[in-house]
Amino acid sequence: MMKNNKFWAMLLNRTPAILLLAVVAIFGSISGRFFEPQNFLNILVQSSALAIAATGMTVVLLTAGVDLSVGSLMFVAVALAGKMIANDQPVWLSFAVAFMVGLAGGALNALLITRFRIVAFIATLATLFIGRGFGLWLTNTRAMNMPDAVTALGASRCCGIPTPIVVMLLVTVTIHWFLVRTPWGRQVYAVGNDPDAAQKAGLRVQPILFAAYVICGACAAISGLIALTQTGAVSPSFGQQKEFAAIAAAVLGGTSLFGGRGNVLPGTLFGAILFQTIENGLVIINADPYLYPMVLSAVIFLAVFLDTSRQHLVANLSRRTLQSVA
Amino acid sequence: MRYLLVARSLLRSGWLTCILCMLYALIMAMLAPGFASIENFSNVLVAMLPLMIVATGQTAVLITAGIDLSVTSVIALTSVAGASLVSGDTSPLSGSALATPIAILAMLATGALVGMINGSCVAWLRMPAFVVTLTMMMFASGFAVWTTQSQSYSELPASLLFLGKNGWASGTVALLVAFSVHFMLHRTRLGTSLFAIGHNPETALVSGVRVQWAIVIAYVICGCCAAVASVLILGQLETGSPVQWENNLLDVVGATVIGGTSLYGGRGSVLWTFFGVLLLTLIDNSLNLMNLSHFSIMMIKGCVILLAAFLDTLRHREEDR
Amino acid sequence: MNVPLLQVEQIGKIFHGIPVLTDVHLQLSAGSTMGIVGENGAGKSTLMNIIGGNLTPDSGRMQLAGDNYAPRTPRDAESAGVAFIHQELNLFPNLTIADNLFLTGYPRTTLSKFMLPRIDQRQLLLQSACLLELVGLSVSPKQRVETLSAGERQLVEIAKALQLKPRLIILDEPTTSLSFKERLRLFSLLDRLSNDGIAMLYISHALADVRRLCDAILVLRDGKVVGQGAVEEFNNDRLVSLMVGRESTQQFPQRSSQPSREIALQVENVSQPGTVKDITFSLRHGEVLGLSGLMGSGRTELARILFGLEPMSSGQIKLHGEHVSHLSVARRIEKGMAMLTESRRDDGLCMHASVESNMSLVVEPKFSRGPLGILSKARLAAELRQMKGKIQLDRNAQLKSPVQTLSGGNQQKVVLAKWLLNQPKLFILDEPTRGIDVGAKFEIYALIDQLAASGASILFISSELEELVGVCDRILVMRQGELKDELDRSEFDVDRIMHASLQANQENSA
Repeated sequence: MMKNNKFWAMLLNRTPAILLLAVVAIFGSISGRFFEPQNFLNILVQSSALAIAATGMTVVLLTAGVDLSVGSLMFVAVALAGKMIANDQPVWLSFAVAFMVGLAGGALNALLITRFRIVAFIATLATLFIGRGFGLWLTNTRAMNMPDAVTALGASRCCGIPTPIVVMLLVTVTIHWFLVRTPWGRQVYAVGNDPDAAQKAGLRVQPILFAAYVICGACAAISGLIALTQTGAVSPSFGQQKEFAAIAAAVLGGTSLFGGRGNVLPGTLFGAILFQTIENGLVIINADPYLYPMVLSAVIFLAVFLDTSRQHLVANLSRRTLQSVA
Repeated sequence: MRYLLVARSLLRSGWLTCILCMLYALIMAMLAPGFASIENFSNVLVAMLPLMIVATGQTAVLITAGIDLSVTSVIALTSVAGASLVSGDTSPLSGSALATPIAILAMLATGALVGMINGSCVAWLRMPAFVVTLTMMMFASGFAVWTTQSQSYSELPASLLFLGKNGWASGTVALLVAFSVHFMLHRTRLGTSLFAIGHNPETALVSGVRVQWAIVIAYVICGCCAAVASVLILGQLETGSPVQWENNLLDVVGATVIGGTSLYGGRGSVLWTFFGVLLLTLIDNSLNLMNLSHFSIMMIKGCVILLAAFLDTLRHREEDR
Repeated sequence: MNVPLLQVEQIGKIFHGIPVLTDVHLQLSAGSTMGIVGENGAGKSTLMNIIGGNLTPDSGRMQLAGDNYAPRTPRDAESAGVAFIHQELNLFPNLTIADNLFLTGYPRTTLSKFMLPRIDQRQLLLQSACLLELVGLSVSPKQRVETLSAGERQLVEIAKALQLKPRLIILDEPTTSLSFKERLRLFSLLDRLSNDGIAMLYISHALADVRRLCDAILVLRDGKVVGQGAVEEFNNDRLVSLMVGRESTQQFPQRSSQPSREIALQVENVSQPGTVKDITFSLRHGEVLGLSGLMGSGRTELARILFGLEPMSSGQIKLHGEHVSHLSVARRIEKGMAMLTESRRDDGLCMHASVESNMSLVVEPKFSRGPLGILSKARLAAELRQMKGKIQLDRNAQLKSPVQTLSGGNQQKVVLAKWLLNQPKLFILDEPTRGIDVGAKFEIYALIDQLAASGASILFISSELEELVGVCDRILVMRQGELKDELDRSEFDVDRIMHASLQANQENSA
């Protein structure tokens, strides 16, 4: 029985890879176009915005928290940038301001959670609505089209690689480095595993959490800007439900909703690409667009289900035996 | 010191929201034109009924320390399910004498089914309630959009619309639902089980409570309440659409939490939820009268909910003393 | 060595009006090891928590190497050079060994003044490897803690303590989860540390281990030092008799009935890997059966298995001749089983809920009618009021007030009341008198006696031998998941029980 459990644990730890293989096999068998090299590059470019948002989400999930306001924050940041660009401000300045908005939004969430001790998902659910409302007010609930300069950014290449991919790699590698190579990063894992034990071990839990939400906000803003350069427009539904996609990508990449487990590289990047592959595959096989949300939510459900099973299995395996029974 | 004591006892009592409602109404009577009229108050009372019913179901789930975020999608899904059976002349049941009762039954069954799936995942698979119901929300509304290909149904029979259109009928339905859930919570074995589970599921299990069944039933009740609300909304809007009530999720959770039902479980009441719903509806109504745009209302409501969640945290800390 | 490393004088501590430590003094010189022994609840852990900075004493003072020493937090103690290794390990299983060792104080480098501090990976691995070598653990510091065995984790915990460069290490039952081999390894490590001049305080129930490792021994009983001296002055018998004490400090009600011949509960060959092994015993009507054993001997796990809260891999449980092994908790309660759990807070009570709703939780099915389970509140309320009188609940306690506002003793009475309302036929009591005052204890003993007189069977688990001897008809002793001894009332002997609970440790380490 023990052995059997260990086998399942091993399998559950490799779910992302197994899922990706299954997805590629399914879509590849339906449509040959799926396997074209250009399509793989497309998937990577399309993944970049999601991967960045999911990277921020991963940091928050690692602390055993959640941030539902990611989509709204993307909208606010981009709406402000869009407004500035429409008023003939330089693009770089608008983008910088949008990034600051992301930091500020993350800080607001962090304040509500660490200072006022509001449960993370209610706090961020409320900021989701506040952010969406604020963004709609900024844009007067109208769509804004961006000048070509913005979309040119999205199509540009940096050292021969499409810029979105470069930014994606830059962000994921940086955050990964933070998580793995700085004391703060390691402490994030400890806090997520058991906040009380972390407190007892002498860690300053609240500042660690604060930084996590700020990083998540910043990633949301960057992600929104990338999406902006790709779509070239700010619609009133910009970024809507992107928080779910971000959670899904993180969980698909093996990050646990219970905190303390997961990584950005390869995990979340992988998860984001997997998520995008599914969407891309659905397009290629000409599936009914109305099916997308159902398929995606089913995939998220599966990922969470696997995460939960893994969690219970680990708990069972590590249940300490008492005195060693002779 | 005395003020602090008063503040504390107010925080602990369930009547805080009731007092807030009255204060708010008083202030708005001075600020918002046309607020303090019999006609407006009866408008408020009728407008709050669907939200009241949904929030009642949500109360039962929150008491178990769970949450159901899928209620708004249940409303969309059931409204489509019911309307598609009876709309126009070509639907399966159009013209049949049993059309309305069957449509309503179908709606209830859909709601119960969604609740059962939610509850089973939470109780037996031990998945976190908020993700289960979040994915259910995406799936159910996605399903509603897909089956209808994003079409909405109108031309519904008058008998189906009656419940929602007639204020007295809606009021009776809402009262009936609120009273039965209230009765269930405080006068039956199931109710006390739900409270015990919310307080401490381990203790409940040791004391012989059938924890998993009770959790499933709570979610089923929540799903059914959403379905009943959907019937009333169908009457008010005269259409069944797959995006029905899409943006009202925060109202549902917010109203319940504002009322004083705790997110940490074990604490809640339908009566409190009534005041929470009343307060939110008053805010909506008065801001509309003041001609504020819907996005400012969204922001203000978000802030009110943050305030309520903060009060809940304070309350919880107070109890741990 | 003129100045002792640690000097503790007249330390006293009172919890909720009950003194748990009185006038304790001890001296420890550098490089020496002192064993602290005593029964559960004798005050060992409290004393160590005071020295380790988790608790502050109510009276007395301490000196470390001649300086005043009054730690307010574990951090203070650590910076003074005192490391505390707890019985429950404080490791993060999701992190690597190296991370666990240095979590609060990573070796850092910065490229420039303005850059973020980053972990000096080379130093981290180097220092971790050194520490691991020191404790004799030959695994990579990059390995995650969750992949280690319990014994290896214990060694990591010691390495973590050594990383602080301590002068004094406190070890609280470090061997409970270790295999025989791991234990030997630990001992040779401790010997080495001792030679390096590190002083140690060693708490353990394994008397042979204590005698082997320590230079001096301190015996605690009821928060007082009852014996102290060089290890040569003590043999096992003397230690046990000092720990147990001769004079009875407590009063017990006279047993008013005799158990009948009829068997109520029959337990046959119950086993569950890792917790209990091959348990067989029977319990008669009207009998109070004591279950003794150290913490971690498997007694609580056995109780939870009997009640259906934990699985068992083999064996049978029969209540009144009827198999109950496959039944759910709820069904077992219907059959007349009841269980007062070890921890009121964790699974005994709903602390925020009212006295009333806690009391009525179990019995509600009997007061509900129809398919909807509608409660007859009036009948239930009458029953509750009657029960409140019967268990002599504090007169100031309202049925409506939250149960957490009551004292420990009254809370325990609420748990008892909740089960008594259901008129149980088999009542499992797991440490029913823990953390409550003497008066309430006596009332609980009286209730147990009444219950037995009315024909119910009682399984009484306790760490306090005196109380088992005072209340029970028969006592079973558990050790390492197995039943090791059985004593009838005529043979009750605390020394024998203590020996039976401790024996294995002596065999193994001899």
